[in-house]
Amino acid sequence: MKQAWQNIRALWRNETLFRIAASYLGLLLLLILLLPWIPLPYGPNDLDLEHIYQPPFSLTYATKSHPMGTDRLGRDVLANVLYGARTAFFISIPVMALAALLGLTLGAGAGFFGDKGFSTSRRNLLLCLLSLLCLGYYWLYLPVQIASLNLGTPMALKSIMAGAVVVVLLFCFSSLLQKFIAPLRQRVAVPVDQLVMRLTEAVSTIPRFVLILVLASFLPPSVLLLSLIISLTAWTGIARLARAEMMRIKQLPYFEAARSIGLNSRELLWRQAFPNLLGPVLVAFTFSLGGLLALESTLSFLNIGVPPTLVSWGRTIASVRSNTAAWWLVVFPGALLTLTILALYTCSHYLSKVFSSKNRG
Amino acid sequence: MRNFRLLVASLFIVLSSCSQPERAPEEVRVRLAVEPETLSPVSYSDAGALQILNLLFQSLLSADLADNQIKPYLAADLPQVERLDSVSLFTYQIREEASWTNGSPVTAADVAFTLKVLKAPLLNNEFLKPQVQFIQDIRLDSSNAKRFTFVCEGYSPEMELLTGDFFILPAYLFDPEALLQPLEVAALTGSLSELENNSDLKAFAARFNSPAYGHSTRVLQGSGGYLLESWENGKYLTLKRKSDWWGNNLPDAPYLSANPERISFQLIPDNTTALMALRSRQLDVLDNIEAAEFNELRQEEDFLKEYAMYSPDAYEFIYAGINTRLPKLSDKRTRQAIAHLLDVKSMIKVSQQNYATPTVGPVPPSLKAYYNNKLTPYSLHQKKAMELLSSAGWQREQDGWFQEINGNREQLTLEVNYRAGSSNYENAAIIFQQSAAAVGIPVQVQAMENSLLSQNLKAHDFEMFFRSLSGNPFVLNFQPLLHSDFAGKGGRNVTGFGTPESDNVLDAINKADTPEVKAKLLKRLQEILYDEAAFISLYYLKDRLAVHRRFGNVKVSGLKPNYDVSAFTLKE
Amino acid sequence: MGGYLLRRFLLAIPALWALATVVFLLSRLLPGTYGSERILQSGTGYYSKGSETDRQAAYLSYVKRTGQDMPLFYLSAGPATHSPAETAVSYTKQTQEQLTKLSWRYGAQNAKAYIQSVAALKKQWQDSYHNAVPGNAVAVHLQTLQAADNTEPLVDAAEEIRAAAGHPRLRRAADNVLVRLQAMQPQGSLAFLLPAISWHGSQNQYHQWLVQLLHGNLGNSYKSSRPVLEVLVEAVGNTWWLLICSMVITFFLALELSVLMAQKKENRLRKVLLPLLFMLDSIPPFVLALLLLVLLANPNFIQLFPVFGMGYYMPQELGLWQELMQWAYFMALPLLSLVLFNLPYLTSQIHSAISAAMQSDFTRTARAKGLAESAVIRKHALRNSLLPIITIVSDFIPALVTGTLIVETVFAVPGVGRLLLDAVLSRDYPMLTGIVLIIAAFRIAAYLLADMAYAWADPRIRQRMT
Repeated sequence: MKQAWQNIRALWRNETLFRIAASYLGLLLLLILLLPWIPLPYGPNDLDLEHIYQPPFSLTYATKSHPMGTDRLGRDVLANVLYGARTAFFISIPVMALAALLGLTLGAGAGFFGDKGFSTSRRNLLLCLLSLLCLGYYWLYLPVQIASLNLGTPMALKSIMAGAVVVVLLFCFSSLLQKFIAPLRQRVAVPVDQLVMRLTEAVSTIPRFVLILVLASFLPPSVLLLSLIISLTAWTGIARLARAEMMRIKQLPYFEAARSIGLNSRELLWRQAFPNLLGPVLVAFTFSLGGLLALESTLSFLNIGVPPTLVSWGRTIASVRSNTAAWWLVVFPGALLTLTILALYTCSHYLSKVFSSKNRG
Repeated sequence: MRNFRLLVASLFIVLSSCSQPERAPEEVRVRLAVEPETLSPVSYSDAGALQILNLLFQSLLSADLADNQIKPYLAADLPQVERLDSVSLFTYQIREEASWTNGSPVTAADVAFTLKVLKAPLLNNEFLKPQVQFIQDIRLDSSNAKRFTFVCEGYSPEMELLTGDFFILPAYLFDPEALLQPLEVAALTGSLSELENNSDLKAFAARFNSPAYGHSTRVLQGSGGYLLESWENGKYLTLKRKSDWWGNNLPDAPYLSANPERISFQLIPDNTTALMALRSRQLDVLDNIEAAEFNELRQEEDFLKEYAMYSPDAYEFIYAGINTRLPKLSDKRTRQAIAHLLDVKSMIKVSQQNYATPTVGPVPPSLKAYYNNKLTPYSLHQKKAMELLSSAGWQREQDGWFQEINGNREQLTLEVNYRAGSSNYENAAIIFQQSAAAVGIPVQVQAMENSLLSQNLKAHDFEMFFRSLSGNPFVLNFQPLLHSDFAGKGGRNVTGFGTPESDNVLDAINKADTPEVKAKLLKRLQEILYDEAAFISLYYLKDRLAVHRRFGNVKVSGLKPNYDVSAFTLKE
Repeated sequence: MGGYLLRRFLLAIPALWALATVVFLLSRLLPGTYGSERILQSGTGYYSKGSETDRQAAYLSYVKRTGQDMPLFYLSAGPATHSPAETAVSYTKQTQEQLTKLSWRYGAQNAKAYIQSVAALKKQWQDSYHNAVPGNAVAVHLQTLQAADNTEPLVDAAEEIRAAAGHPRLRRAADNVLVRLQAMQPQGSLAFLLPAISWHGSQNQYHQWLVQLLHGNLGNSYKSSRPVLEVLVEAVGNTWWLLICSMVITFFLALELSVLMAQKKENRLRKVLLPLLFMLDSIPPFVLALLLLVLLANPNFIQLFPVFGMGYYMPQELGLWQELMQWAYFMALPLLSLVLFNLPYLTSQIHSAISAAMQSDFTRTARAKGLAESAVIRKHALRNSLLPIITIVSDFIPALVTGTLIVETVFAVPGVGRLLLDAVLSRDYPMLTGIVLIIAAFRIAAYLLADMAYAWADPRIRQRMT
């Protein structure tokens, strides 16, 4: 941990480009956080219907002007570009964090346990499967049906209660059963690695963009749902990385040593493996964040899965299609988008340099 | 290394040596936004397909775009109407000259065949079937093969148009083995379960439902002046003029025309690219030009030298619907207040660059005789809106308007729905959101897929929505849209509008005999609609199109497709 | 070798199947299929073309003709009180909904009996009263009877009708309704929690679809009602050469540039080129394509290229060369965009592979032998970095798909990407399933090819595979 921090500080001292990129990102983040308190003449969704498709720097009247021009509804491009950055980060960072968490857990789990390292009793497995089925029916299927038929909350609550009762009953019943039937007590290994790898393969058979498009077509446009979809498709890269790192760490001498002195597996994971994983994951995180920014704006450019009131770079850029002469609608948000992605890639590039040299060395 | 540079250089030279392809002057090139799914005359679904089909096939009656009047096309004259107790009879005579591509005459038997195709089970005809279901039988005239009578159920004003509003198919091409011959048209009304096992019909259906019947140049030959020459999927369709078409130079029907030698429909899905194609003179006709671009083109002198630009009044309008069944919106003063927050002027300016006309009701302002010009369209008036809200019992508080309704304290909030992907509605909704926010009504804007939206509307599961409706100047029957008989779930009257008076007026409009009576009733209807403010008509659109100047006799009209390409003549 | 490939291929099939199944089932669970929208929606005109009942009838025959009335899957689970077969499509939408709700609450048998009694009442009322009395009060209560889903308002409405009914037959019908309502009362309110699983055998939509799929039939597009496969083949035909050409050009350029940059004397070039490519990589594809469009195909700026489509209609036949030229001319901008999208990634990957190879011992030896630098790179370094390059190329497919999608949307090329986007926007699910399958199959094929290429490039791997 400390080592990583020192590495980054060394990078900051030695590499001018890294310094520039990192300070750009820092400033942007600061700006985004402080944005609600910065006095802008217009909000991002304020319409100035008197001045639509206003080119930049063309208005000198009074104090309120549009330095970057306006779009088809007279929305101020400057405000949209700034608030668009806010949206982009507010969506991308949680999405990426969720995806990283998911990928890290699954990947590290797969790498750590392998195919034989995790075992549980047959009864537990059976209980898990049956409970999942029941909960799917009572907590998901029935409430969804009830909501779509408009039958009222009491019925939905009844269904949820019923689900809980059934699971408890299942638990009691299986404990009872376990006492009489010996095979249920037998422990079986769960091939965690196989499962995770198959899942990653299945998700990445289809290009991610296509997967997101297809999933988005089933759902109403909403930021939350879209974020969820992206998270559920974005974890595979980090999972692969975490798995590979985990397998490498497992081979390291100090890890073997720790194991031989009898530290238990949770302790091992937490104390030893995770700090080592952090570096590579940070690299992947910054890199994927750049891709995610591009993805988010592409989706809102294509008008898929995003509500129209969401301020975003893609929305501003998309409005150039109804007026090709309005170059400022592409140039300003496009430039900021490109710069941000560039900065993220630059940081990721230098970070990877540091971490890979450290690991090899 | 060197060869690499050479390669790049030569690539550029080759690419830049190509020039814009030469154009043949007698060919009209039209843009097609969406590729027709099928050109089957009974299951076509989009406007582009209809435009092309109108050049290949003919219906008994059609609108002449020169004066927007219904005129006899395949029929020799408008039908003779006879209204009996429970049925009405429409008698038609087909033009003597009318003939198919192979020279055989168009007869009443072909009309009977067409009706069978439209009404039979098992066939892919569900899209047009409901439209002709009121025609119960056809009576052929034994002495005249070109004369026949439709027997229709009841009477309504649009029937005259609807009896002549489907393409007549050549029986010899579509059914060479005369499989449908034994079928009776009268047997096709009511329960059809027996027919579903009819082996002739099954055999016919197997062939007729195949994609070939909507795509093949061999089958798609009608009595119109053009033949489908080629159809390159995803690229273009071309139509070629028949060499000696019967419709040329008819003395009593100069509006039947097939002038251009060849018409090609170039498929360009994207609006921006279509516009650029027009600018580089690769298209002769482009309609639906974005308003901002249209204005810009109007500034370009070079462009105006070659293209004429038109903006005819269309018969399509945007309206807002409010769900009167909701307790918070059941008071008409609340709805009037909402109507006063609709900034129609700005909506027109933003989405249409002023190519639209505000309207007080669903009757087009261009129909001067029927339009109620004593009313002024709703416009933004915040003070009035607030007064109306107070008078409807709403209390202005810190964070909005509140009222005690059925024992619950409710806030006046609105969710506005519209079809996703259309900037007209989106602009209207966002502008409304802003002006409502200014008086303290929080508005949520939610775009929806069309299917979901119509489902919600039919289930009365909405608060307010924006939509558009299109019509024509011939039939003004608002009954299904506004009568309270249609206000049940699944009915077309989704807003729940309807007073006893409006129901009576709507019934009376359909029975009106003279234009004066009809005008009086329609004006009254507009007043009621205006006052109730449940179905708020906002503005009628104008179409925007550009046509190359080498063509004359363009027949620009507000009716789709806005011009009659078959009438184009080359100017000298 | 063959066995290994076969195993990988067989492993890919379950993934394809699972994917297609998920898309299929999800798509059928959603409301508002294309047909229902087109038939039931009376268009956007002011007057209706055809009455509501005619539309409903037409829709029913459409549903039946296309097999959409069958159950979705082999099994279905639902509340025992509600049986979907009872709510089959023989009622209007409103009645169906009411029947479903009442079934959930009070059991299917009771609900159906009630619905029938109300239908009888309505018929009675229409026959005897509609023309004589302006019975608006009854009409309102009848509306309630046909819409409400709780017994209290229903009982109230039925009693009102009974009180207002003048005709004995009408009164009898109202009594009958009340009896049915009475029967609905006692059913326990928890009954709906009991699940019932029903088995439908092979008469279900999924089975039919799967059987057809195995016969190579992907179904018909909702939108154009043409076979999905046919539309797909056409679209692939339009995109194919664009993709291949862009791939070949990109690959060639990337290779040449990396070889160039690997040379010592081109140090300056590398210092300029690498950051430039890095920057190019940061521009999202859609921004790049739009910039190209606005800059190079706009008469207001520079018009070098035409912008749309796949060529114009030409009255006379063109020679092969001319046709090729025309195609190249039309595809220039899309091609350029695709090359620009993919060049940075490929170049940087190949470059790092080559520089890694340049540091290895054998290149040092080769250099020591006195070979010229370019020869060292081409003969030794390049050959030894072949393996990573193969991986890079096969990993490159997803980026290609995304890029094509954007390019086809912006430049209106009627290819697979555009088809996909249209299918997503219009929710044409058979088409969507088809495209997803095709892309997945393409991807799997690319992996297999990469495996084969590995074996070809490296004899050691070939050994291991057998």
